[in-house]
Amino acid sequence: MKMPLLKVEGVSKYFQDPRSKNEFCVFSDLSLSVKEKEFVAVLGHSGCGKSTLLNIIAGIEKSNGGVVFLDGRQTVKPGLDRMVVFQNFALMPWLSVQGNIRLAVKAAYPEWDKAAINRRVEKYVEMVNLTEARNKKPAELSGGMRQRVGLARAFSVNPRIMLLDEPFAQIDALTRGVIQQELVRMWEDTGITIFMVTHDVDEAILLSDRVLLMTPGPGATLAEEITIPFSRPRTRDRLVEDPAFFKLRDRIVAFLGHRQAA
Amino acid sequence: MKAVGASAAMAIIGNFFPLEAAKAWAKDASGPLEKKALKIGFIPITCATPIIMADPMGFYAKHGLEGTRVVKAAGWAMIRDWAVSKQVDCAHMLSPMPLALTLGAGSPAVPFLMPAVENINGQAITLHKKYLGKVKSAKDMKGFTFCVPFDYSMHNFLLRYYLAEGGVDPDRDVKIRVVPPPEMVANLRAGNVDGYLAPDPFNQRAVYEGAGYIFMLTRDIWPGHPCCAFAASKEFATIMPNTFKAVFKSLVDATHYAHKAENRKEIAKAISPRNYLNQPKVVVEQVLTGNFPDGKGGDISAPDRIDFDPFPWDSMAVWILTQMKRWGYVKGDVDYNKVAEQVFLATDCRSIMQGEGYKAPAENYKKHVIMGKTFDPSQPEAYIKSFAIRRTS
Amino acid sequence: MSNSNPSTLSVSSAAAVPPSGGAAAKKRAMLKAVDPGPARSAAGSLGQRVGGNWMVLSLFCLLLFLALWQRYSTVGNEKFPSPVVVAEHAWYFLSDPFYDNGPNDQGIGYLVGFSLGRLAVGFLAGSVVAVFLGVVLGLNRTLFKALNPYIQVLRAISPIAWMPLLLYTVQNSGWTALLVVFMASMWPTLANTAFGVNNIKKEYLNVAAILQMPTLAKVFRVILPGAGPAIVAGLRISMGSAWVAIVPAEALLGSLGLGYFVWNEWNNLGIANVIFAILLIGAVGVMLDMLFNRLAKSLAYTD
Repeated sequence: MKMPLLKVEGVSKYFQDPRSKNEFCVFSDLSLSVKEKEFVAVLGHSGCGKSTLLNIIAGIEKSNGGVVFLDGRQTVKPGLDRMVVFQNFALMPWLSVQGNIRLAVKAAYPEWDKAAINRRVEKYVEMVNLTEARNKKPAELSGGMRQRVGLARAFSVNPRIMLLDEPFAQIDALTRGVIQQELVRMWEDTGITIFMVTHDVDEAILLSDRVLLMTPGPGATLAEEITIPFSRPRTRDRLVEDPAFFKLRDRIVAFLGHRQAA
Repeated sequence: MKAVGASAAMAIIGNFFPLEAAKAWAKDASGPLEKKALKIGFIPITCATPIIMADPMGFYAKHGLEGTRVVKAAGWAMIRDWAVSKQVDCAHMLSPMPLALTLGAGSPAVPFLMPAVENINGQAITLHKKYLGKVKSAKDMKGFTFCVPFDYSMHNFLLRYYLAEGGVDPDRDVKIRVVPPPEMVANLRAGNVDGYLAPDPFNQRAVYEGAGYIFMLTRDIWPGHPCCAFAASKEFATIMPNTFKAVFKSLVDATHYAHKAENRKEIAKAISPRNYLNQPKVVVEQVLTGNFPDGKGGDISAPDRIDFDPFPWDSMAVWILTQMKRWGYVKGDVDYNKVAEQVFLATDCRSIMQGEGYKAPAENYKKHVIMGKTFDPSQPEAYIKSFAIRRTS
Repeated sequence: MSNSNPSTLSVSSAAAVPPSGGAAAKKRAMLKAVDPGPARSAAGSLGQRVGGNWMVLSLFCLLLFLALWQRYSTVGNEKFPSPVVVAEHAWYFLSDPFYDNGPNDQGIGYLVGFSLGRLAVGFLAGSVVAVFLGVVLGLNRTLFKALNPYIQVLRAISPIAWMPLLLYTVQNSGWTALLVVFMASMWPTLANTAFGVNNIKKEYLNVAAILQMPTLAKVFRVILPGAGPAIVAGLRISMGSAWVAIVPAEALLGSLGLGYFVWNEWNNLGIANVIFAILLIGAVGVMLDMLFNRLAKSLAYTD
């Protein structure tokens, strides 16, 4: 079997309460793997530690145990190979749409000349349909547009894996649907590998190939793994007509709810 | 101010003043000028008249120093710093300053020379106009607050002398503060101080502004007392002897010109503008001609209110040194003659004066009469001990 | 210029405005520069009226002040110069700004130039050092905490208090003046830069880390722009502090400039000229601040 692109082995994270000095286990001994071109989602309630897990994979937080492998090699520091799309966009507010993407492209391809960089930036601006707004600053954009910039930025550096941290949580429900579809389109077009954390059950079912269910903390675990049976292209309209969708949905909600109560 | 131990002072002087070398240059130097465009520092008071007037009236140029300019300093500390750090080549100083600099009193010790006196007389005790008719002598001044421009100044020493002769202890019975001259007038007007012994034109200015009156001219304390001087570092004189001689000559020349009464009005006009004294011309004229209103309602004619005589009597230096010792500015034993002769260059001034065709005194020492009391320069220690009010035993 | 007799303008009405010329006119001209003009767009007549009012009030305050000054300067025998006299003296200098009468007396244009020149050099040097140190401290919390107490102490010391020490070590008035400006420019900028860098959103630094930006690129592309508004705020305060320091420094060091002008005129008890100098110093200070205002606006960003 082909080696997974991303392998997380036995990763743990502990926090120390600064006042009581009690050690608090966020999660311990988590393992998962992601194959190339897969779209994997981790689903769990807020506060279960899924963002922490993503940060550890990204390298912007340190774990208290376990290893993360990318292409079979241990990762230590953050890098362009594991580009992140942030929940609150993390765009540089003093740079325009173009400027933000250019910042990433320049960092990823330092040896490219100006023309090549400009071409790449333009390509990704177009890919997210922001050509009209390319000179605007983030403050002048809506939430949905800002995340499109975030996505364009991430795609433009062609990372080995894209890490999405609740990417649409701060976008209004109406826009969310549109962007979700765009994301799937871009994923299919580029063949990139995506690892996403989310608390939205529908979103997980709609977008991903596999869903990993994370129990609430402390001491969270990846209790169940579900392969999404619905064929692509998936749209909300089609899914809501499929009774299997509701069954799956209820099962997941019950699983999470039951675990919550317990 | 810092008091310097005498042995340290002597060691310093011994290092810097091999006797022979100090005499050599003034006589021989007659080669080309090492530097022509000098910067000469001055304080904008009438004491510096010869130094200042030599610029617009061409005395520097006459002796080959083309491009020499006089540069205005805001205060004595600034002049001292400029002279020590060589931002000016030579400077107008108070006559005790070269002595203090050489001894390292109140500054790092740097050997300085005083080749010529700039002015004699030229100061006054000015009092707030509320004391008109009320203050007759020093005794009436107990409890007063006075100002002087600097600690190492004839103003300070003359004021102290005057007060002490009247039985008033200048350290205990009055307050003496160091204040820049324009602030003296402002303070007088505001009533913050009772009087000051200051250089002109600030005494006449007080009358002009209606703030005070002239109580006593210093001419009447010690007729012919030295006040300000032309000073240069020993380094300047040694490294650039020809230039030094040229400046020396320019100033001796200018001083003699200023001494003549008929020239005073012309000089007042030349030195009053903004880039020199920056004072109203009428005030400067009143000071220089000695025809002035005294603020008591009368007009006085005192043509030697200020006078100009370059000869730096070594005995004057000794007097200054006795006063420095008397008030505790210098402690320990002082070799009066040695220090006086190394700093106040009476012999060299004589040769320059004669070289330029002026008459010079035959001796370097003479007795001086100050407020009726004779000062014998050969008996400095006895002189100090003869004062009831003093800070030494 | 000796003190001339104060003129006796009637001040019975607020329209008793001193004749144009000099400092008063300068002030009014500046006010007008800030005034965008009477023709506003159709923003609603109520808004127009409210907006217009502050300028009228400001002008009224100025005229009232001038009128009171004119009135009381002729009272008593203090000979305090009236606005008219000050304006006359001001005009004397402003009408011939570039004369040269030797090293002790030069035109006001030159004097302002010298002061600004000194300010520019000292301020630039101080700012570069301060921003550099501020970035270093902002990125390293431990170092910042360790050095912060000393920074606070140094910040509290008036730049003029450094002068005797500097003069003693450096032995040169020109350099001392520059160093005084340097010291004045350092601390507010340093403190603000460190604060700004420290408070950059962690996300921006995370992005920089993920993009594997080399340190220099990170500093110039992320950290400095991110801390930009705080840095400019610090620079603005430093500039004010430096301009305030330079005038007494010049007066105490004898360097040709506005400070020297103040002292020289004070020596002649020329109060009118001293007032003119004060107004000029204030005017230049305001212009410098306006420059920084522009800079601040261009570097501001909304998160």
